[in-house]
Amino acid sequence: MKLKKEQKVKLYINLVRVRKLDEVMVKALFAGKIPSFFHSQQGQEAVGVGACTFLRKDDYVYYSHRGHGISKTLPKGVSPRVIIAEHYGKSTGSCGGMSGFHTADMELGIPGISGTLGGGFVLSAGMGIAAMMKGKGQVVVCIEGDGTYCRGTFHEAAIMTANWKLPIVWVIENNQYMTFTPICEYYPMENIADLAFGYGMPGIVVDGQDVIAVYEAVQTAVERARDGEGPSLIECKTYRFRSHAEGIPDIKGTELRPQEEIEIWKKRDPVNLFRERLLKEGALKQADADQIDREATEEMEEAERLATADPMAADPETFLKRALYSN
Amino acid sequence: MRQIRYTEAINEALMEEMSRDETVYIIGECATAEPMGAHKGLVEKFGKDRVKDAALSEPAIIGSCVGAALGGYRPIANMRFSDFIIPALDEVIHKAAKWRFGHGGKQKIPLVIIAAIGGYIGAGPEHSQCLESIIMHTPGLKLAIPTTPYDAKGLLKTAIRDNNPVVYFFHKLFIGTKGEVPEEEYTIPFGVADIKRQGKDVTVVATGYMVQMALGVANQLQERGINIEVIDPRTLEPLDIDTIVASVKKTKRVVIVDEDTLQCGVTGEIGMQIVERAFDYLDAPIQRVGSANLPIPGGFFERYVLPQPQDIADATGKVLGLKERLSVMAPERQTFHASEKLHLEQK
Repeated sequence: MKLKKEQKVKLYINLVRVRKLDEVMVKALFAGKIPSFFHSQQGQEAVGVGACTFLRKDDYVYYSHRGHGISKTLPKGVSPRVIIAEHYGKSTGSCGGMSGFHTADMELGIPGISGTLGGGFVLSAGMGIAAMMKGKGQVVVCIEGDGTYCRGTFHEAAIMTANWKLPIVWVIENNQYMTFTPICEYYPMENIADLAFGYGMPGIVVDGQDVIAVYEAVQTAVERARDGEGPSLIECKTYRFRSHAEGIPDIKGTELRPQEEIEIWKKRDPVNLFRERLLKEGALKQADADQIDREATEEMEEAERLATADPMAADPETFLKRALYSN
Repeated sequence: MRQIRYTEAINEALMEEMSRDETVYIIGECATAEPMGAHKGLVEKFGKDRVKDAALSEPAIIGSCVGAALGGYRPIANMRFSDFIIPALDEVIHKAAKWRFGHGGKQKIPLVIIAAIGGYIGAGPEHSQCLESIIMHTPGLKLAIPTTPYDAKGLLKTAIRDNNPVVYFFHKLFIGTKGEVPEEEYTIPFGVADIKRQGKDVTVVATGYMVQMALGVANQLQERGINIEVIDPRTLEPLDIDTIVASVKKTKRVVIVDEDTLQCGVTGEIGMQIVERAFDYLDAPIQRVGSANLPIPGGFFERYVLPQPQDIADATGKVLGLKERLSVMAPERQTFHASEKLHLEQK
């Protein structure tokens, strides 16, 4: 469980990569290159990176709309070009450019995203059934937001997975806002993870800005799931820095979301926190950190250039017809 | 040829396909103790891993099937009554139907949703519906509605082998019916209608239990010299419109009968497809028969909403331009209680 120096550096690299890709996407949206939308996840990087960086390739990961999954899919091995190209409607995109912003790659254990939020819980339960029946130790990590955990689908999936001891890790990425409503307005308790008790699974609350804390909690749950002991529920308290979606009016600076609150959380930026920690521990030198920054920026800018130059689908009508049914 | 019951035909298909392919499993509320006899012997042969008793949780049952299908399995969800699909429509209409499409058509989602449809058992508005209109309306779902034990077995085997989500509806009144089913292996392809009765005067396109009702009416009207052709599409998606249109071109008159609510229903869709392809051949406006635009009431009130044999006869008289009414006898009224029927089944 204790991470080696190189593993910590890998976590840091992924944090920076996700942040840089997010920045590229925001810029692209305002440049008019993304016809749908972008829901920035800046501030929440540590949850996906901590949970997904050291999973097995054949483990399954469900992500939600926040950041369009980049904090999970990049660490899981999806290339940034494929993600950007999908947003640009290019044939090289993850779904051939027809999905708006979905990323799916079964080779990397990424089945995709549910348009109705909370749809992923019951599908995760089914992936858990498949994983258990195959008996190869695969685990499903389902990461959805605090709002989503209010859906009845979680209740049903939690019962099914706890009852059959399916290999699932439920992660709550609690950024404390359901679109434009603060959690105190719609959730009665302090911690969502307390639900775990009722399902007979372990529940834990961790600092979602601390990538190591997220990693350790998820890794413990992953090992438990691989050992056939069933699901766990992990709540990561985090915060989104930007609006619900780019270009959409937010409630920032209002009574519902005071500016001071945003400033306090920005002091707990997960990328900065971890860099400072690694510098202090001596796991990273300033020059290494600068190089990681530079390389991640170059990687994402290069991916953006390539995606821009990539072709659109040659025959969209045939493509769509073939997409409906499998042979 | 040997005769077996409809539910025995379903049972044989499940038994054969689960033996043939170990990725096939069945899940549902009371899957091991399914009361109609369709799951007889399954848990004894395949164990609880492949015959899964789920909690009362329709979204989890169907949603987990989508997830397991993405993970390489071929799940079958037995929802008992089709009305119980309604709580899981997000999983059916969004996840099962659209997941592959919404992710660029690279994945396979082989799953089957089995459910009993229909009224005539006095079970009221939330236990009597036919949902074929909603399912047929949704791109990405195939839909089979077998009406004989032979079709029930052959279409279910095809459904299980299909690499896409298939909704498989059977009418509650078929549970105890018997029919010829060969001993040897066979499947029935989707998208091939079956002409259940040859005729030359009027084409009646009917689905589900309406096939049996239309055949009863056709036999009665034959005595008056009216020769009706009854076509059972067997699958509504894909729909064998060619066979229907060929029959219409021959008879020049068509009545379409479906038990679901008439408004925005299957009859309207098939009727319009006929108009688009064979309008010039029609000697009379198309007539359609379905449930009145009301929820289905409980008890004996349901007969004022559900299609009746006389409705089919009246529609036939209209397309033939007859002035006098073609009165038909209603068949022995189906007033059985589900519990009675199930009791019979267990004997």
